[in-house]
Amino acid sequence: MDDLLKTAEIACQSAIKAGAEFADASVERGRGISVSIEKNAIKSSDARLWAGVSVRAFARGGTGWFSMSGISEEHAREAGARAAEMAKAAESDPDFVDLVSPCPYAEVPGLYDADLAALAPAEVAAWAVGNIDSARAVTSEAVVSGGASTSWREWALVNNLGVSVAQRSTAASVSASVVIRRDDDVGSFFEWDSARRLADLEVDGIGARAASEALRYLSSRTIRTAVLPVVFGPLSSGGLIQGLCGAASAEEVQRNRSFLIGKKGEQVAAEALTLVDDPLIPGGLSSSVCDGDGFPHRAVTLVEKGVLLTYLHSHYTARKSCEQNTGHSTRVGIASTNVLPTLGTRTAAEIIGEVEDGIYVVLGHPVPDTASGQLSALVDAGFRIERGELTYPLRNTMVAGHALELLSRIDAISSDYRAEPGRVLPTIRVQGVKVASGE
Amino acid sequence: MRRQLERLRDEAVRRKVQFAEARFAAVRHSGLVLQDGRADRVAAGKRAGIGVRVLVEGAWGFASSESTAYQDWVSCLQSAIDLARVSSTRLEERVELAEAPPVVDEVKAIFAVDPTEVSLDRKLAAVRGYEEASACHAGEHVANLMTGYSDAFQTEIVCNTRGTLVSSEFVRTLVWHAITARNGSVLQRAREIQGEQAGFELVEATPADELSGKAAARALALLRASPAPAGKFPAVFHPSITGLLVHEAIGHNAEADHVLSGTSILSSKLNTKIASDCITIVDDATIPKSWGSYRYDSEGLPGQRRVLVESGVLKGFMHSLETAAKMGVAPNGSARADGFLHRPIVRMSNTMILPGELSLEELISDIDLGILLRGGQWGYVWCEKGQYTCHAGEGVMIRDGQLAEQVRDVSISGMTLETLADMLGVSRDFELRMPGNCGKDGQSMPVNGGGPYVKVREIVVGGQG
Repeated sequence: MDDLLKTAEIACQSAIKAGAEFADASVERGRGISVSIEKNAIKSSDARLWAGVSVRAFARGGTGWFSMSGISEEHAREAGARAAEMAKAAESDPDFVDLVSPCPYAEVPGLYDADLAALAPAEVAAWAVGNIDSARAVTSEAVVSGGASTSWREWALVNNLGVSVAQRSTAASVSASVVIRRDDDVGSFFEWDSARRLADLEVDGIGARAASEALRYLSSRTIRTAVLPVVFGPLSSGGLIQGLCGAASAEEVQRNRSFLIGKKGEQVAAEALTLVDDPLIPGGLSSSVCDGDGFPHRAVTLVEKGVLLTYLHSHYTARKSCEQNTGHSTRVGIASTNVLPTLGTRTAAEIIGEVEDGIYVVLGHPVPDTASGQLSALVDAGFRIERGELTYPLRNTMVAGHALELLSRIDAISSDYRAEPGRVLPTIRVQGVKVASGE
Repeated sequence: MRRQLERLRDEAVRRKVQFAEARFAAVRHSGLVLQDGRADRVAAGKRAGIGVRVLVEGAWGFASSESTAYQDWVSCLQSAIDLARVSSTRLEERVELAEAPPVVDEVKAIFAVDPTEVSLDRKLAAVRGYEEASACHAGEHVANLMTGYSDAFQTEIVCNTRGTLVSSEFVRTLVWHAITARNGSVLQRAREIQGEQAGFELVEATPADELSGKAAARALALLRASPAPAGKFPAVFHPSITGLLVHEAIGHNAEADHVLSGTSILSSKLNTKIASDCITIVDDATIPKSWGSYRYDSEGLPGQRRVLVESGVLKGFMHSLETAAKMGVAPNGSARADGFLHRPIVRMSNTMILPGELSLEELISDIDLGILLRGGQWGYVWCEKGQYTCHAGEGVMIRDGQLAEQVRDVSISGMTLETLADMLGVSRDFELRMPGNCGKDGQSMPVNGGGPYVKVREIVVGGQG
């Protein structure tokens, strides 16, 4: 990746030469292969190659940003000069201080898998076809869509203060969406797996699992509108956590757009909730050596026993509020990485078993509005819980509430979980949720 | 580029493909965001590349490259041919394409004021005017103001082995304003957007009171509003909700690729009654200046006005060359690709329910307790189940046939076919003003949506009250 670092260096120098006071340049190239499945057959096999440079230049704190195709020296020079030109035209920002200074980076193993990068399209197609077969082995009624994909990416970042870092990564995913139709009744489910290394990817079984699940969603029903305990399963519980992390962005807080304004150091969730953001997990889907500014990654405890310990910072927001940088810049904003909830002591089955009358949300996006904290979300797939048992699938059912109220009513986090590379997805139970439905 | 594309097409013919399509796409864009009184972030960029799609032995292969060099394009062609052979390992049936006459044409973008010729200072002055109007309106309740401007100049050239060679230019300009208003610990947001296929004249023709003034008034009203109720209610949709609903619930189900893949609830419903008599739905790619319009699609076919539902009867679907052949109908120019990185797939353009004769007052007059939903923000659909959700920023309760108190933070959900059958009336008031981007299969595409006020017998409201 020395050539990418050299291109980034040229882009950076070009911006400084054109009058920027600070500059950083990100250069990237990559290749992706995807095989898509439609109605139990391959629909298309695609390959994509991309290469581009992106420069941020700063003058009196104003930012100019230019991105373009191509990673030649000529491209780099043009991108740097254009970014500087725009920075000089932007208005000054007194809160801008500087860019990240050079620091040592931790090693993060498992982000690149040479075997995965070398996979031929035919092998990726075989994964996709295997999942058609496994789904239809469960039931010949299964209509399977989805596919499989792999990609590799090389990325380099340089700034004019001496930061110089490069990273190579791979990714792969397999998915199956199964529809089972019996007259006007439909059961469907979407299942997937993603990984950075072949060893972490479940290639087989995705289709079979989707088909088995789809069968469970036939004959769905509505329920009465009521206030009920809601158990969010591993594929939906992340929405609440994602909402909390989004509102914990220092950019949102400093711009007065977060329901967590003034909440640092305060109880924002039940004591059951502890969240650690760890971008250094080997092979993690959101792992990397540094953030988008080039700041070295490290693990950060975001919430401890329900208390918000820190906001998520970029270099800019940390400087602005004189707080410690947490390394969460994406260059275009701020985002969490691998968020790990501390697990409880009882299994998901035990947590569901304690619910006399409630619902279980399997798929859904219960992500509250970052500013107001209000949540109003569809249960994409779920079940009624009666006397501790999942009794029938739900249709046309919604959950609603305020994020801080819902988080404070978490009364159980499971000990068992769905594992994704770098991620732990437990089951979370919330008491007293408004559930609206069509009955 | 046209000559280079023709050269590549000829090379594809030499390599004996059943069909090949080379598509060059390029975009130049610029934008700025004014926040906290400063335009401290100014951005621009340009991307260009090639996407090559081939049919070999009835199977598709596609390859793209972010390059304008001919040798890279030839590599792309060979890669697409190799990938088509991979696709042929599991085919349900050989892909055939519908007949369509070849088209040779060049379409220039239409605009009055070239945005690339407008200085940053002039753009900034316009955007600052929007911010000042909002700040003035919201006063002490302002928590945050963001105002954005962007323009994009896109070129797409389609060249295929049937003799089509079409180049299209698009200029899209957009302004938006978002306000976060505060009253104590309560934060509420409102956003207004105006976007067209136009140049900088769009900004000059968009007064502040229609953009930022409107957003500020809505945000202030939301601060005083109560949480929406939960349950099933008679409802009236504002055109912005109608636009979301018609796009999410009906539009996606009427995309022929979804129909053929077995994931659409409309698969077996052609020429049957699926909605009440008052409902006629069209997807129209020919509306001048509208965000989702185009003269030619990404297969080089003319964009059309497609009647999807007429007086409640499902009349047709949106088609690509492939889906039209499979269903034995004429293609209707609905295949669009997101830049050079993606192959064309069936997409909407400007999707709407057509207006009727009633006034809003007539629509609500016999509702004892219901809700008027407006401020459509986002939605999504599970096509195969016919289940959709739409998020409305706000609502107004209807009590005894009159508009009553305002409510906030409200989403709705429903089953598409039930909602279509439950539509009781449509207004003569009509809006087509939801310029945005629709996501499908990892591709993002400019679309617009709208319609009249629509009265619905009952809808599930996911509120908290």
